[in-house]
Amino acid sequence: MTNVIEKIQAKYPSVIKEHIEFRDETSITVSADEFHDLASFLRDDETLRYDLLVDVFGTDRLKLGHESRLAANYELYSVPHNRFLRVIVEANDPEINSSSNGMQSTEKSALPSIPSVTDIWSTADWLERETYDLMGINFVGHKNMRRIMMPDNWVGHPLRKDYPLGGEPVYFNHDRENPRFAHLGKPLIVGPSYETELPEEMDTEGNMVVNLGPHHPATHGVLRIALELDGEKIVRAMPEMGYLHSGFEKTGENKRYEKFIPYCDRMDYASPMCNNLAYVMAVEKMLEVEIPEHVQYVRVILSELQRISSHMIWLGTHSMDVSGTTHALPMYCFQQRELVLDIFEMICGARMTTSYFSVGGLRWPLPGAFIDAVTSFLDVFSGELKDFEDMLTKHPIWIRRLKGIGLLPAEVAIDFGITGPMLRAAGVPLDLRKVRPYSSYDQFDFDVPTATEADCYARYLVRLEELRQSMRIIEQGIEKIKTVPGPHRTADRKVSLPPRAEISTSMEALIHHFKLVTEGYRPPQGQVYFANENPKGWLGFGLISDGTAVPHRLRVRGPSFVNLQATDYMAKGGFISDLITIIGSVDIVLGEVDR
Amino acid sequence: MSQEIVQLLVDIVKLIIIASVIMGIFTFILLVERKLIGRFTRRYGPNRVGPFGLLQSIADAVKMMLKEEMVPGHVDKVIYVMAPGMALMTALSVFAVIPFARDTVVLPLESLIGFSVYLTPWVADINVGVLYLLAVGSLGSYGIILGGWSSNNKYSLLGALRTSAQMLSYELPLGVAVLSVVVMTGTLRVTEIVEWQTQFAGLAWIVFLQPVAFLIFFISALAEAGRAPFDLPETENELIGGFMTEYGALKFGLFQAAEFVHAMMFCTITVTVFLGGWNMPFLNEILNIMPTPIQALAPVLHLGIFIGKSLAVYCSLIWIRASVPRMRFDQLMAFCWKWLLPIALLNLFATVMGLAITAELLGLW
Repeated sequence: MTNVIEKIQAKYPSVIKEHIEFRDETSITVSADEFHDLASFLRDDETLRYDLLVDVFGTDRLKLGHESRLAANYELYSVPHNRFLRVIVEANDPEINSSSNGMQSTEKSALPSIPSVTDIWSTADWLERETYDLMGINFVGHKNMRRIMMPDNWVGHPLRKDYPLGGEPVYFNHDRENPRFAHLGKPLIVGPSYETELPEEMDTEGNMVVNLGPHHPATHGVLRIALELDGEKIVRAMPEMGYLHSGFEKTGENKRYEKFIPYCDRMDYASPMCNNLAYVMAVEKMLEVEIPEHVQYVRVILSELQRISSHMIWLGTHSMDVSGTTHALPMYCFQQRELVLDIFEMICGARMTTSYFSVGGLRWPLPGAFIDAVTSFLDVFSGELKDFEDMLTKHPIWIRRLKGIGLLPAEVAIDFGITGPMLRAAGVPLDLRKVRPYSSYDQFDFDVPTATEADCYARYLVRLEELRQSMRIIEQGIEKIKTVPGPHRTADRKVSLPPRAEISTSMEALIHHFKLVTEGYRPPQGQVYFANENPKGWLGFGLISDGTAVPHRLRVRGPSFVNLQATDYMAKGGFISDLITIIGSVDIVLGEVDR
Repeated sequence: MSQEIVQLLVDIVKLIIIASVIMGIFTFILLVERKLIGRFTRRYGPNRVGPFGLLQSIADAVKMMLKEEMVPGHVDKVIYVMAPGMALMTALSVFAVIPFARDTVVLPLESLIGFSVYLTPWVADINVGVLYLLAVGSLGSYGIILGGWSSNNKYSLLGALRTSAQMLSYELPLGVAVLSVVVMTGTLRVTEIVEWQTQFAGLAWIVFLQPVAFLIFFISALAEAGRAPFDLPETENELIGGFMTEYGALKFGLFQAAEFVHAMMFCTITVTVFLGGWNMPFLNEILNIMPTPIQALAPVLHLGIFIGKSLAVYCSLIWIRASVPRMRFDQLMAFCWKWLLPIALLNLFATVMGLAITAELLGLW
């Protein structure tokens, strides 16, 4: 990475305030004034080419002892050179001096500011809005600096460290005398209605504006899309979200590292295993733990099983979006997913919220019947997959509904930060399992399917081929765990609990057990970012440790959230039916969009 | 009482009976549809209410009726309430000209009232029956359009717009396809078209002679009835039910019923015009050599055959619904105007030419 730093220094000699190498990751700290020029240099220079903006997130460094309190982290990735770079931008002080209490700063000009990079990377649009909303950094030059997760009239910025955590009283009995419950048992009163906040450029007089959602069968959850329609043609489609915002990041910053694993299940609830994997890998990267081979293989097998189940949900709901609820395929797909969930239930007792991976290994050893169950599932599934293909791939109506719809060429996709099957359908063979193998993926033989058409049909074909590749990986993984049957946890006692038998004989084991259960582990001070290839795209976890057992900052980059941003680009000029097809082919899970 | 009045009363009673039987069959069809869709999607379908779930439709109907009749504040009340009834009424009235069997049953009541009462297996046998079928069948779209328009809801409006465009367009290939049949049989009277198909020992089904017309008719009928893959007025996953979005309780039930009855109606028309009506090949020939008491059962047999055929056609609709993706609206219109209508016209032209050449060769001019 030194040549990258040298390159930057050659062009801008004094821009880098601080340069840190930690866990093979490079971070540079720059000041807000110089950031915009540096950003366009980073993107455009041939030898740098940081064309994919993976993530933007703010950090509140109130207690970390930095000079400026708020900073934004830009996680950059270079597709041609396959390398990451983190740029930490220290926010400028606000023009109007306000108190440091985040609760009171409602005016944008009273917030610390950073120049917006939406003109350099389109994906920065929502990511900067999210940072503004939750961390209170004003991005100067952003065209639509509105709240994105919290309600528009929310006061304060919840991810700041001085923002109170909860504290509302919880009532357990309904006391009729209490004025709080005066409405109980009375007829419903008509509530006041509020003007919907629509973007200013929407033409509400000449065109028809329809709110698609938040309760709409095709939005896969509580997503609202403000549609501007000319007849049935879409002039503009503006997704609005936040109805399911649960503050996972804030929760994570108030829990010990290992306690956050169950929360990962609830973000992309269609692929909890992969979410767990990304999180535990991030923590393990921070702790530098050696993971036994057996664990790595099992993690790969389960992630790929999860990919199959997630793609089954996608195929089922996608065919339902295109064909209506009575089409037979959704049920077939969900039946296959059930089989995967049965395997999950067998290994960890839970079907959807598995939490099976723990930091340093697996929560329990695999049951003996696992290998047989997976093999018999693969037998069933390979036949079923053929049936699904026969039903759709060459169906003339299916082709007409998908071909040429939702075009997203490679350059635009990278500009929007799209990852996963959507990017591969545009012809970019970018798969983290291949380009930056994690958890022993480099020992597996599989292909990265791509297509060049970049439309919904190409995405459909790519995902189908991915299913086949996942089956290949699982088959190889099964062979591998037959030869490497254990152990299911790392031997590092600073991270993983000692076996029960050892506790009664070894004083040291007892101490380790006690320390782990009461205090947890304390990673060294530093910052890591780990992304894995989720079924929907890159799921990134950013962790900043201040040396305690609780993360100072926990950032989740949901692939659905970022991928959804291209909806307007893809849907423009199409019909309502096309929009429904496009939402289906983006494959979103609202739990992850809103987090 | 004069004979005319009695005959009129008989007709009215018959109307009521047919309408109620159709509604009864509708509940049964609904169950068949749900059961079959269930089986197609590897489920059981309804099986909780009554043996094999047989009472499910009745439970649904009771539920619909007992729900609160609500009229939203922003709708055009008169039309809003009228629309579902209109949709159902037009769908039901088509059955007036459908012949359910061949033979008119004569009730020998001369000793009692001085004249015999004739029980025809149809309500009316009008000489332009085919025109009546097409005209009244297409009136059904009015219920939908009015319902969608009066609901004062954007989704309903879009659904209603789609309906009007779709139904007007598909009316044309539908009519032209039937026209080929009319040219061939030389009559507009529905009973005579069925009678025509009893030629050659009942093998002269028009579907064999006019396969193209049959296909066009079938596809257009799917579109006219708003069935998958042409169920664009409804599109539960795009327009949240389209024209039905604002409806609830019994009015919603009526719309649902209208939709199913509409589909049933097109099934019976298909059977009548293309699939030999109440007849089966060699049926009459076999009946003729049977003893008289069995011959007297012919109307019942015919009715059974008619219902069986219609049900078979209906099951094919369900099959299509479970396995074919839905078309997009512009593709639907393009399909009609670019493919169906030209082919239908060509088919009509070919039929006329074929008939003329045959007549010329046989010297029938």
